[in-house]
Amino acid sequence: MHVLNRWRSWVWVLPALALLLVFVYYPIVENLRLSLYSWNAFSAHPVFVGLDNYKTAAEDPIFWRALRNNTVFAVTSLVFQVGFSLVLAAVLEEFVHQRLRGILRTIYFIPAVISITVAGILFSFLYNPQIGLLNRALGALGLVSWQHSWLGEPGTAMWSIIAMSQWQSIGYTAILFVVAIQRVPREFYEAARIDGAGRIRSFFAITVPMVREMTTLITILTISGAFLVFNEVMVMTAGGPSNSSQVLGTWLYRNAFLNDDMGYASAIATVIFFITLLIGASQIYLSRRRRIEW
Amino acid sequence: MMTASANTKPNAPTAAAATAGAGAGARPRRLPLAGVGRRIGSVLVWVGLAALVVAVLYPLLWMVFSSFKDNREVFDSPWGLPSQLRWGNFAKAGSAGVVRYFTNSVLVTSASILTTVLISAWAAYGLVRQRIIGGGLVLGLLLGGLMLAPTVALIPLFNLLQQLRIFDTYWALIVLYTAFRIPFTTFLIRAYMIDLSPEVDEAAKLDGCTPAQTFWRIILPMCRPILVSAALLQALFAWNEFVFALVFISNGDLKTLPVGLMDMQSRLLTDWPVQFAGLTMAAIPMIVLFLIGQRQFLRGLTDGIGK
Amino acid sequence: MRSLTRVGASLAAVVTAVALAACGTPSTATTSGKQANLSTPKEKKGTLTMVTKFADPKYAPYFVDVTKAYEAANPGVKIQLEQVGDQPYKDKIRVLSASKKLPDIYFSWAGDFANKFVRANLAADLTSVIGPDTEWGKTFAPAALKAFQTNGKYYGVPIDLDAKYMAYNKKAFAKAGIANPPDSLETLLDDCGKLKSAGYTPIALGNQYGWPAIHYMTQLNAYAVKPDTLSKDYNPATGAFTDPGYVTALTQFQSIVKQCATPQANGLSHEAAQANFLNGKAAMHYLESLEFLALTTKGGASKDLADNWSFFKLPASSSSPGDTKALTGAPDGFMVNAQSENAALAVDFLKFMTNAQNAQKLTADIGWLSPVQGSATSSNSFPQLQEALTDMGKASQFAIWLDTVTNADVANAYLSGVEGLINGATTPQQVIKGVQDAAAKAKKQVG
Repeated sequence: MHVLNRWRSWVWVLPALALLLVFVYYPIVENLRLSLYSWNAFSAHPVFVGLDNYKTAAEDPIFWRALRNNTVFAVTSLVFQVGFSLVLAAVLEEFVHQRLRGILRTIYFIPAVISITVAGILFSFLYNPQIGLLNRALGALGLVSWQHSWLGEPGTAMWSIIAMSQWQSIGYTAILFVVAIQRVPREFYEAARIDGAGRIRSFFAITVPMVREMTTLITILTISGAFLVFNEVMVMTAGGPSNSSQVLGTWLYRNAFLNDDMGYASAIATVIFFITLLIGASQIYLSRRRRIEW
Repeated sequence: MMTASANTKPNAPTAAAATAGAGAGARPRRLPLAGVGRRIGSVLVWVGLAALVVAVLYPLLWMVFSSFKDNREVFDSPWGLPSQLRWGNFAKAGSAGVVRYFTNSVLVTSASILTTVLISAWAAYGLVRQRIIGGGLVLGLLLGGLMLAPTVALIPLFNLLQQLRIFDTYWALIVLYTAFRIPFTTFLIRAYMIDLSPEVDEAAKLDGCTPAQTFWRIILPMCRPILVSAALLQALFAWNEFVFALVFISNGDLKTLPVGLMDMQSRLLTDWPVQFAGLTMAAIPMIVLFLIGQRQFLRGLTDGIGK
Repeated sequence: MRSLTRVGASLAAVVTAVALAACGTPSTATTSGKQANLSTPKEKKGTLTMVTKFADPKYAPYFVDVTKAYEAANPGVKIQLEQVGDQPYKDKIRVLSASKKLPDIYFSWAGDFANKFVRANLAADLTSVIGPDTEWGKTFAPAALKAFQTNGKYYGVPIDLDAKYMAYNKKAFAKAGIANPPDSLETLLDDCGKLKSAGYTPIALGNQYGWPAIHYMTQLNAYAVKPDTLSKDYNPATGAFTDPGYVTALTQFQSIVKQCATPQANGLSHEAAQANFLNGKAAMHYLESLEFLALTTKGGASKDLADNWSFFKLPASSSSPGDTKALTGAPDGFMVNAQSENAALAVDFLKFMTNAQNAQKLTADIGWLSPVQGSATSSNSFPQLQEALTDMGKASQFAIWLDTVTNADVANAYLSGVEGLINGATTPQQVIKGVQDAAAKAKKQVG
């Protein structure tokens, strides 16, 4: 009777668990299996090909370029969304008077509330060599040789997308740091000032170590975001020109729905799976370790 | 509390520390009269802050201005104000699909907020208050679910949704937005419920409430602040979600805003002002909502990011 | 509590059912060999679904009008028409066929793009109704029907006649001192120099999506490679792309880009480049005859331009081993879903769409040439359109778009390779190496 009652309590978790198992776990496992087949939207019978799709990936230069682009995305985002944002947050907190501080924070945050698609399309207009402001501004400054067809050249396309992403996210991460900085007891700064430390020194001696937890969190969010990036690239270049701005997500999509190679797309998905698993595991590891340190 | 959900880009939540800062005031902060170097330093800082304001606002202003121009003006005077307010561009963008996409987004987002928050709160209460056989396993599965990325599941889901006959319906998105956000939302609400005093439950029990009644009548109202945060974070996720909306909806009438706008871009081609008008229509409501609800945004954000 | 348990139990049952249903083999288009019944239905009733790639506001209304007219004539029939843009159509149709939601009537380009549907048994064999000897078939230009012929069977209903031409601004040519349109590639390149000195962008090129450059390659390949080799290479089962002519064609395109085309072409859409031709800043623009309407006052062009343009076929180099009379272009068409319950009704609708009246309306409304014979007259078309029709008649054969005639792998290798060529990031040799690799992969998949 007692045991039965305890089984009854599964009623509480069943809806959540059922959805999770059917729509999250099952597809992930199924994907592993699918990656061993070769088939497409038109073919009648999937053919078992073993690890061929993974071999294709290993030999596919575009796969590696995509992986490299994700990495570049991650590193650049770290510099701006962790490094620069932290400085921005500290400057806002230390330099700016209260009222203005609120206004600035609000302004910097605005790009984060418009959707990636809107920002992406807006920037593709901004980069457009005909109507775009960027080339016109460079032209007006006499920097004609700096003008580019930003999304149309392999050398600049990926960077242009990354720049848009920074535009959108810096204000957001800066606000996160502001929240963390506000939790730092004021006395620390007072004490440092009495000891004669300047602003820059208190930044490194107090702010940076005190917001370490937030830094870890933002670092992980930024890295995993960079490896899952899809929307920005799809909207702005769809991976072109010459696949120069391809990332894992778009390369997966392209293979599944344009190159007629679903099996290979599944293999790419598996790679993404392991990368995110690694990031997730390191997050758990880091948050555990922190708890022990305390 | 570990809440970094692997399936959302960090970009969404919120701002707003903007208002929280106000309380922290009354700090002595006068620029001490130091050397010229320091003054140059602070001038540079101000120039930097101002430049950032321009960099953030100018593209948005350009978008709004351009949506009132005609094609020739977009080309010939990109920097200038529109010579007249051409509201017709907005009407055109609206009938080209923006209104439709907007409605779809609202529908899918609200439905998924409701299902996600209720199912998650229900599960969270069970995990916190009911002794569940294998509760540890359930927690483990939820934790694992935080790390799984939607892209990975794309191709199998493509098959699954067809077999369930919900491919290319609102349900496809509502179900997926719920399933993929349950882990995050459950953890969020669970962390809040853990802090609630168990005496409340005891008292309810003495009054003759079943656990389900306790949940609906007492616990849910008590959790209101965290439910609002959870709803807000879910709204930001569902409003911006792109991959699922791209692959699982092919009917043009059911598309949500993020995919619909991209679609519209490929249809309208060089009709720039109407495209700008469409972007403006999609962006402005969100910006206005944010400006109105900054305080909520801040709380949602701090709840979402863990403490 | 008891009722909750019951809810839980039924939920569990649903979940199990779902999980079981999902455990099948990877989803694919169902293949049944059944032959759709195409004879005209006695009673015209039902709902037809149709997807086109003509969402462009210039062209979309025609298709809406025709479906409305058919509905009006047949009150029992409802047509759900969906029109998407050119670029999104390419993935949309794959998603639809993979999800078994292929509409009753769908758009297709000629070539391997169409053959894919044929191989998957998703295209109804229309030979019995549209074969060249049938009553309906006789109304079409034979070459147009042939574009959708595979293994002796006819699978598509051609809807338009399309060919690629270089439009030029007569005033610009006069100002640059060019008397006649160029008759060889070498002259064209020379003329570009003259146009540049006169202050014009010689050729407006916008290659954001890759296909505009591919259309040049289609024509240049046809000139530089012998027809037999070409058709062997374009077939996924036998493609090798080892003929030196392919490199020659790429090199020629490279010269066109360097000496004539809009700089930074990969960052511009085709339509944005076209705007440059329309406003008189560019002297030439390579476009499809389907787009001619945009160059008329009715299509929105200024009178100044509309009265002063003509066109010529992209000229071949004076030493070209291939077929110099080939013309890039192909009819586009509609196919009928072989699995459709409404195949007969679909055919009936397509007959309606291609009857003499609607064919003339096509030319009159949106300036397209119809494959239906005798549909373009001086009363419903403009002079350039009629010239184009005459010119198409002179062509020895249509060179079908390179990105739809070849299989997806080869097409993509060409697309990304040529984009690189425009940027100066790749050499013709590198491009062709990528194409050869893709052809090898395709061969493996087909064989």
